[in-house]
Amino acid sequence: MRRSGLGGLALTSPWVATFALFWVFPVLYSLYIGCTDYRLLVQGYEWVGLDNYRQLLNDPDFTGALKNTFIFVLGTIPITTVVALVMALLVNRRFKGRTIFRSAFFIPSITSMVVVALIFTSLYERGGYIALLAELVGLTPPQHGFLFDSSTALYSIMAMDIWMSVGYYMLIFVAGLKAIPDELYEAAEISGASTVRQFFSITLPLLRPVALFVIVINSIKSFQVFVEIFVMTKGSFDTSTAVYFVYEEGLTTAFRIGYASAAAYLLFATIALFSVCQFLLMRRRMTTW
Amino acid sequence: MVGSKRAVGESIRYLLLIMVLVVMIFPLLWMFRVAFMESGSSISWHAVVGSGWTLGNFMDLFASGGLGRPLFNSVLVGSVVTVGNILFCFMVAYALARYRSMTNRLLFSTVILVLMIPAHIVIVPLYLICLRAGLYDTYWALILPWLVNPIGIFLVKQYIESIPESMEEAARVDGAGEFRILFQVVMPLCKPALAVLAIQVFFTNWNSFLFPFILTSHDSLRTLPVALALYQGHQAIDWQHLMAGSAVAVLPVLVVFLLMQRQLVSGITAGAIKQ
Repeated sequence: MRRSGLGGLALTSPWVATFALFWVFPVLYSLYIGCTDYRLLVQGYEWVGLDNYRQLLNDPDFTGALKNTFIFVLGTIPITTVVALVMALLVNRRFKGRTIFRSAFFIPSITSMVVVALIFTSLYERGGYIALLAELVGLTPPQHGFLFDSSTALYSIMAMDIWMSVGYYMLIFVAGLKAIPDELYEAAEISGASTVRQFFSITLPLLRPVALFVIVINSIKSFQVFVEIFVMTKGSFDTSTAVYFVYEEGLTTAFRIGYASAAAYLLFATIALFSVCQFLLMRRRMTTW
Repeated sequence: MVGSKRAVGESIRYLLLIMVLVVMIFPLLWMFRVAFMESGSSISWHAVVGSGWTLGNFMDLFASGGLGRPLFNSVLVGSVVTVGNILFCFMVAYALARYRSMTNRLLFSTVILVLMIPAHIVIVPLYLICLRAGLYDTYWALILPWLVNPIGIFLVKQYIESIPESMEEAARVDGAGEFRILFQVVMPLCKPALAVLAIQVFFTNWNSFLFPFILTSHDSLRTLPVALALYQGHQAIDWQHLMAGSAVAVLPVLVVFLLMQRQLVSGITAGAIKQ
């Protein structure tokens, strides 16, 4: 009874067209370009096969950027996940002012990344607020400010990122907590299980799928960290990341389009591998439980 | 005894909540405070607390034209992209939900696939394509690639599938054409989903930095986030004006969120929990 074919085609054509032109084509084109020595300002280019990839793995700028990206991902994700879960537990039950707290916690994640990066740049300045707090608890802040010191810059940006994203993942955990049936807790209550016991035997196992979602989504996003690096440090003080490297190589000074495309693909492969590993690891744990 | 134990628990909960609250909102309060400070002074602790309140920073920004054009661009690009997404995401979602052909099932799997490919992969090629196609440094580069988005298709498709087909059948029996059924029967029913989609698309676009930044270079085409990010580079950082501009970028998002938070929150979490 469905008039398939033409009717459906007319409706989907705008998506198919923009999708093909601005997504499929660029993705494939970039795979091809990544195997050439294409530079924007140089006429003509040659096929170099996997040379770019080989060169990337020996390029200290790229491996350094990749190392920073891994520090960023591995450092922020456990903290963000745990803090978001704690916040979700705090605002989950009904109490006075719950909506106010929940909204306030969520607001940073709807704020523009550029604005957040600017605000924190001012807070991290020499003699700024964070330096003041550090002095209050007896630490010596870096002499030129947190973003102008290789030993603190990347970690300062990571802290900001955690601040910004916990609210979003908190909301997802809250939705996950709501999906757990009340009867389970009632039954546990009757059999005398403590709140702590309930948390570890009911809440945590049943939140696994949600936690997996949070971790995978957050990893994919964090591997691509760029905006905050651009606004806050421009990659200096050992804060360059993989996407920042792609931008710098491909779209500034030398315009090494081919080399940058290969770097983007190498990061893509890393992300894909990482996601698959997370998936397998979490799923195996889930079935053995 | 039990009562006092509960009271202690409640106090600890509120104490924790308030601590988190302070950490979460302080940076934004700081931004608003600095935006209303008298310009020219430093932003040290004493200066910020001691300074008077003024609208001068906002006036300066609008008078110099440094804010007006980016604001106009952000509104223009955001509006066009939003209208495009409402229309096109709806059309595609309807086709995928109601015409269950082989091609459409294939298309839907590509929607899911696209959601999984990280966007950084197109930075270089999209820049190159826009350059070669003459889209670079035009409004088209800010609009065309973003007219339909897979998450929007996904959300609207789910919504349409929850609407019974009987309404459409009835209209069909009454002799309404497919076009009329689409836009006068189904579309009005999808209003709640489309409203959430519109707000999400508009503000994603409003906050977007990476692609507007790499696909334009001319000052007259800068959107608000791009203008703010580049403003910093010009001279020694002028925090009062920068924070005033930031406040202008944040305020609309804040107001709309606070007015519509219930609908938006359910829209944000719907996609996640369905998995």
